[in-house]
Amino acid sequence: MLRIEYLSIRAGTHTLIEPVSLDLADNEITCLIGPSGCGKSSIIKWLAGVLPPELSATGTARLDAAPLAAPNPALAYQAQQDTLFPWLTIAENAALGLEIAGHSRRAARARVLPLFAPFGLSGHEASFPDQLSGGMRQRATFLRTMVQQSRFLLLDEPFSALDAVTRLRMQDWLCTRLAEHPRGVLMVTHDLYEATQMADRLLVMSARPGRMLDDIPLTTARSARTEASLAETRALLKSLLLEDTT
Amino acid sequence: MSIPPISRALPSLCLAAAFLAAWQGYCTWAHVSPLILPAPSDVALGLWINRAVLGSHAAATLSVAAIGFTLSVCFAFTTSVMLHFVPWLRRGLFPLLVASQTVPIVALAPLMVLWFGFGLLPKVLLVILVTFFPVLVSLLAGYARVPQAYLDQLASMGAGRGQLFRRAALPIARPHFFSGLRISATYAIVATIFAEYAGARQGLGIYILTAKNNFRADLVLAAVVLSATLTLLLLGLLHMIDHATGRRYRRAVDVAD
Repeated sequence: MLRIEYLSIRAGTHTLIEPVSLDLADNEITCLIGPSGCGKSSIIKWLAGVLPPELSATGTARLDAAPLAAPNPALAYQAQQDTLFPWLTIAENAALGLEIAGHSRRAARARVLPLFAPFGLSGHEASFPDQLSGGMRQRATFLRTMVQQSRFLLLDEPFSALDAVTRLRMQDWLCTRLAEHPRGVLMVTHDLYEATQMADRLLVMSARPGRMLDDIPLTTARSARTEASLAETRALLKSLLLEDTT
Repeated sequence: MSIPPISRALPSLCLAAAFLAAWQGYCTWAHVSPLILPAPSDVALGLWINRAVLGSHAAATLSVAAIGFTLSVCFAFTTSVMLHFVPWLRRGLFPLLVASQTVPIVALAPLMVLWFGFGLLPKVLLVILVTFFPVLVSLLAGYARVPQAYLDQLASMGAGRGQLFRRAALPIARPHFFSGLRISATYAIVATIFAEYAGARQGLGIYILTAKNNFRADLVLAAVVLSATLTLLLLGLLHMIDHATGRRYRRAVDVAD
């Protein structure tokens, strides 16, 4: 279990996130939803150890009760921007996290290559990112994140750069991959549809300064969610976010 | 989409040919003294007759320029790494380096000869002084262009400063580095000739000086043609190295940060 205790984030004298405590279960997809600028990404960046220097944070993160120092190999972070390096092939990009974690180039490659087929990237091992479609680049990015064998994935708006159709496909695709390789996921999004479709649990944040407005478990299995139940959850989220006047 | 090289070069070649023809025509029909303005054919003839002597002087110039340029690039790279990793050094030294560029460095050539004699050292030093700065600036500009998201991504994977530099800053800086190299390469031969002007036993600079003193404008121009050729050769070599080793680094970095 990943536990966040009394995290608060400040930008100079302004409070960005009011003290918040959270428990994130293993193998559960938690979507963190809220208006732009409410500090959702900052929570993820703090966990990843890449909080911008102009922000300061107090609070502790614990992994199974032990204090966790970020960056930590137990948490794999995926930035919102496309961070596949244009000068590396897809295989080299995918192996990057493993190489930095100390695996030899050969060992990293051996771990990465078998995943190209299940990730729908067969034949693109030696391609460069600019030769791939947006959806494929996103799959390659997920491959790089998931091959790191961390217990939790920290995803910062992973689908924000994709067109609507690709985005729908990729949401399903990611859920399937996560069913094959279960991980705890903390995913930032501001897309209500995406959140209700993918999450096991929804955390709703207020506008700046960020507070937790609600914590909504979605107990129905993803495949069993009906259009009506999804619409109901979205309506609840909408009312929460619109009624928040801070 | 891509234009074949020959068609791309055609307009320049035509203009150059027209210019040479006009020059030749003017010299022929206006009966200009070859002591003042030799025709292109005179220059070509002078170049051909004195090819052995000119060749040995050109070789001397080229070797000085090559030694100076190589040392300069190594020196600039080392300095760039130091300035990148030691912020207070960058803050302290960089403004001084910028200020140093206001000194007309070629004007230092006579001083170099005064301090270090007529050997290799003063000329190599002058080439280093002239070519060092563009390479250094291009490298530092390149390091600064790394998108924050790249650095965050690497840092979250546990990369330290060395890894960030090697895996992101160096690859991003590579195209900038080659732009800087091209600028410096064009200065390298000119700087060498200036250094030789101030005093040398061998080299195109001293050859030009001697030819001028003998009223041989054709040989002055022949040496100028040779020096331009040397610069073009140096640029061509850099272009070849860039293309042979860096195809992957030319892929666009189109990340918004």
